[in-house]
Amino acid sequence: MSKKFVKAILTNEIAKGGMKAIELNGNEIVVCNNEGKYYSVQRRCGHMNAPLDLGTLDGIYLTCPMHCAQFDITNGEALSGPVPPDISHEIMSPVIGKYMQNIGKLMEQVKTVSIQTFKTKVENGWVFIEI
Amino acid sequence: MNQISTNNDSRKKALHYFFSKVVGPLGFKFTPDEELMNFLLEQEVILEKKHGIPYCPCQPLRNDRSRDMQIVCPCIPFHRKHFDGIKRCWCGLFVHKDVLDPDTLPQLPPEEVTYE
Repeated sequence: MSKKFVKAILTNEIAKGGMKAIELNGNEIVVCNNEGKYYSVQRRCGHMNAPLDLGTLDGIYLTCPMHCAQFDITNGEALSGPVPPDISHEIMSPVIGKYMQNIGKLMEQVKTVSIQTFKTKVENGWVFIEI
Repeated sequence: MNQISTNNDSRKKALHYFFSKVVGPLGFKFTPDEELMNFLLEQEVILEKKHGIPYCPCQPLRNDRSRDMQIVCPCIPFHRKHFDGIKRCWCGLFVHKDVLDPDTLPQLPPEEVTYE
């Protein structure tokens, strides 16, 4: 199926340095405003699917709110994986401790991959995204 | 631990961006020795791939979270007096803003620094 640009969101709905999640033709997308230039990336993190719009955008770098994996919004490249948490001082029952150990082992197997980007353009105050 | 096929150059660029924001207000800048800067950032990317955190490449990990967190780059705030005394951070990735020739700066341990 051929792709085409779809009207997505008004430019003035996203402040400079901000981002907003939208749904477009079934695609969950985060539109980012980096100094007036707009970029669109998939909403789900390339690590564990957390919603990236709840993270932080600093320049062209988007940090996931869940484990702090970082991505380049210009090309979707995964720049870093999850930051290991410190749970050594947490007081937890043996059952919860065992559970957390298992989660940790599973997480070691989770690969962080780059995220999808979408071609984006601005016309007449609207952001258009190629879907 | 991070199964990630990071392009080292992209990550180095990102670390440079984030570190600049931190060290500038502290009175430091990246070393003007670009070869050294690239080498040290490369080592940090390798450490980050292994541990998930870009530790200082010149200091040992002690397997003690609270101590290891004090050598996460840029570690200047945790060693401010020492680094101000030698006008550089321990590995030399950062130097005082007024430093033009980092080769003239000695790498002295804290007990050998004469503090003004």
